[in-house]
Amino acid sequence: MLEADGIGKDYRVDGAVNTAIDSLTFQVAEGELVCIVGPSGCGKTTLLRICAGLLAPTRGVAKVDGREVDGPPADTAVVFQEYGRSLFPWMRVGANVDLPLRRLGLTRAERRERVAEALGLVDLAGRERAWPWQLSGGMQQRVAIARAVAYRPRLLLMDEPFAAVDAQTRAELEDLIRDLWHRLGVTVVFITHDIDESVYLGQRVLVLSSSPTRMQAEIHIGLGEDRDQLATRSSPEFAKLRGAVWKEIQAAKKGGGE
Amino acid sequence: MNLLRRALALTALPAILLGAWWIASDGSTSFYFPPLREILAEFGETWTADRWAADVLPSVARLGAGYGASCLLGVGLGLLIGRTTWLMHLAEPVLEFARAVPPPVLVPVIMLFAGIGDTMKTAVIVSGCVWPILLNTIAGVRSADAVQLDTAAAFGLGRTRTLVSVVVPAASPRIVTGMRQALAVGVILMVISEMFAAQSGLGFAIVQFQRSYAIPAMWSGILLLGCLGVALAALFTLFDRAVLHWYHRMRERSA
Amino acid sequence: MSRNDDRSPAGTRPAEARSGPDRPQARRRRHPRPRPRPASPRRTPLLLGAAGVAAALAIGQILPHTGLVDPDYTPTTGAVAAALADDLVRSEFWRALADTLTAWALGLAIAVAAGAVLGILIGSLPFVRAATASTVEFLRPIPSVALVPLAVLLFGTRLPSTLLLVVYAAFWQVLVQVLAGVRDIDPVAADTARSFRLSPWERLRHLAWPTALPYLMTGVRLAATVALVLAITAELVIGSPGLGHEIAVAQSSGATERMYALIWVAGGLGVLVNLAVRAVERGALGWHPSVRSEATA
Repeated sequence: MLEADGIGKDYRVDGAVNTAIDSLTFQVAEGELVCIVGPSGCGKTTLLRICAGLLAPTRGVAKVDGREVDGPPADTAVVFQEYGRSLFPWMRVGANVDLPLRRLGLTRAERRERVAEALGLVDLAGRERAWPWQLSGGMQQRVAIARAVAYRPRLLLMDEPFAAVDAQTRAELEDLIRDLWHRLGVTVVFITHDIDESVYLGQRVLVLSSSPTRMQAEIHIGLGEDRDQLATRSSPEFAKLRGAVWKEIQAAKKGGGE
Repeated sequence: MNLLRRALALTALPAILLGAWWIASDGSTSFYFPPLREILAEFGETWTADRWAADVLPSVARLGAGYGASCLLGVGLGLLIGRTTWLMHLAEPVLEFARAVPPPVLVPVIMLFAGIGDTMKTAVIVSGCVWPILLNTIAGVRSADAVQLDTAAAFGLGRTRTLVSVVVPAASPRIVTGMRQALAVGVILMVISEMFAAQSGLGFAIVQFQRSYAIPAMWSGILLLGCLGVALAALFTLFDRAVLHWYHRMRERSA
Repeated sequence: MSRNDDRSPAGTRPAEARSGPDRPQARRRRHPRPRPRPASPRRTPLLLGAAGVAAALAIGQILPHTGLVDPDYTPTTGAVAAALADDLVRSEFWRALADTLTAWALGLAIAVAAGAVLGILIGSLPFVRAATASTVEFLRPIPSVALVPLAVLLFGTRLPSTLLLVVYAAFWQVLVQVLAGVRDIDPVAADTARSFRLSPWERLRHLAWPTALPYLMTGVRLAATVALVLAITAELVIGSPGLGHEIAVAQSSGATERMYALIWVAGGLGVLVNLAVRAVERGALGWHPSVRSEATA
């Protein structure tokens, strides 16, 4: 589904070349839920923006469905960390969710139905007429998720979507993502800096090293399909995986040079 | 109750000031400062239906035409320049200069080209009104949020839809600010272009009264001009509230 | 919409460089593989700006020769520059410039003093503030040029005519900003001041004044621009001495080149005033932690 083949990215800062990403190669299969975790400043967001076709890599290629990404690919939706800035404050919730649908050639009734359905899936049924800024942070991020869901993407890219919400809301949203992923069969790439979150959510966790960014490790999460905030997180298996990821991140920080 | 108090607070001082003017000027024998009573009486006599048709309405129509053209031109060019980085860098110093030229000095220039007809007066209004709108639109477009633009790009919204649904609304608070500044400039230019050389219009009429020492009539013209300014400002506030209600309510919440 | 300048994201905006590679500035790119560009990001806008000015001057030079515009009404850039050079050695020009600047500075000073004093007085007394709010909103949109006939009657074509218009227009800019500034006083700071039993004068000195100062500076910046526009406008319309009057004379005597040269001077003066007040504002508010945006009230 998603393929990164030797992706690298350099920035020029005052004439000096600054390598943000050295070289990254990985694959995400159809229907997978993969978490990408790494120390802060390791170019996670840069990587996601390259996969989303918002940024051109300096080296290598990203491929979606075997086609090289040279602009935002169809069937791909992105949920950004900054929900407050990614929702449009001049549109009501319904219009925000509806906007990407307008170019899909659907009838007005179909669109309305999709919007209502997507808002229902994120527990915001009937809130079409609300303004984004009237909602709490967690609710705003759910609107952003509903917007992605209504678009019915095959690939859902999420860039630290829960970094700016409180812990309680965060747990609810994590379960919401697992639930949506089960129900919709969408491929999810979830970027986070939170080790627990990556283990709890993912089938597989990719650990990145920092400056310059390389692939540090790949860890399979054998926690089974049904996960529960309390039971799963307190299981010995979870603790072991968490420890493994943690170790890799520590190694990544040391190995990263700085 | 609250409404009544607000209405009272709103009208109390203007009423007192008018009252003070009325009383202080009542026994006035000064030639230049006639009693308010006389000015108001003159107001009814001067601004008859004929005069409205001959002087006031054409003035306002020219203002409307010039202002409307400025809005279209300013927003259109502003979107183009704001979305094109190299064009913006290219045009910036020239635009800064153009904005710094006091608009009224363009009156004589435009008189050369367009004579003293309606075209000249409308062109004068456009030449002054377009800059605040243009520069504010550019600034508004430049300040559009990167995440919002990323969102639009990630969902594959086309150029047109991104422009209409994202860029223009994001820039709209700045655009409206520019339009408000332009309105004030427009009123000034409307009056000046008529004072400078014209046979009709509000500015022309007021200057005529002054030259013929029809002082109460001149005062009534000043009063009318003031009312026009206030009425336009009030209309604009209504427009602002309607267009940017999301913006004002969002700011109220965050305050 | 060429936002594909992701090869040099940090160079054009130094502030972005600090946020690190995790938040690049570049947005949507439309070409699959943009080629790396030569690295001169900081100079590019300046060069482009200079090119824009040069292009404008060149167009001004060529256009009259093309027949697209009437050459009698649009002299070439060179002819205007020559007229400007002529003017620069004439004492009348410098006297006119001095007249304009005198009216500007004097009018601005009166407006700022009146606006600051009245603004702090009105703003410090909640009752007065509530009562005057609508009056301010009512008087402010009255176009200053409405006072032209009155000025002519009272003062004829002398300096006070210009001053009346300048002061009226600039005063509101200052007053509105200062009122917004006084309203911005931190209630906690106000309570602190009261609990320490500061006298009204001390409260004014240590609380209202510092809070309102950034707003006052914004007001001065806006007023300085407005004052210049009104000074030249008054001279143009009324005929009081100054650059505006010279422009009117040049126009009516058919000295088209000179008229354009004087308009250049007026624009240049405007640019200088803008730059000067921005520099003063930065200097005066160096201590202040935040950069104030204009009050929209």
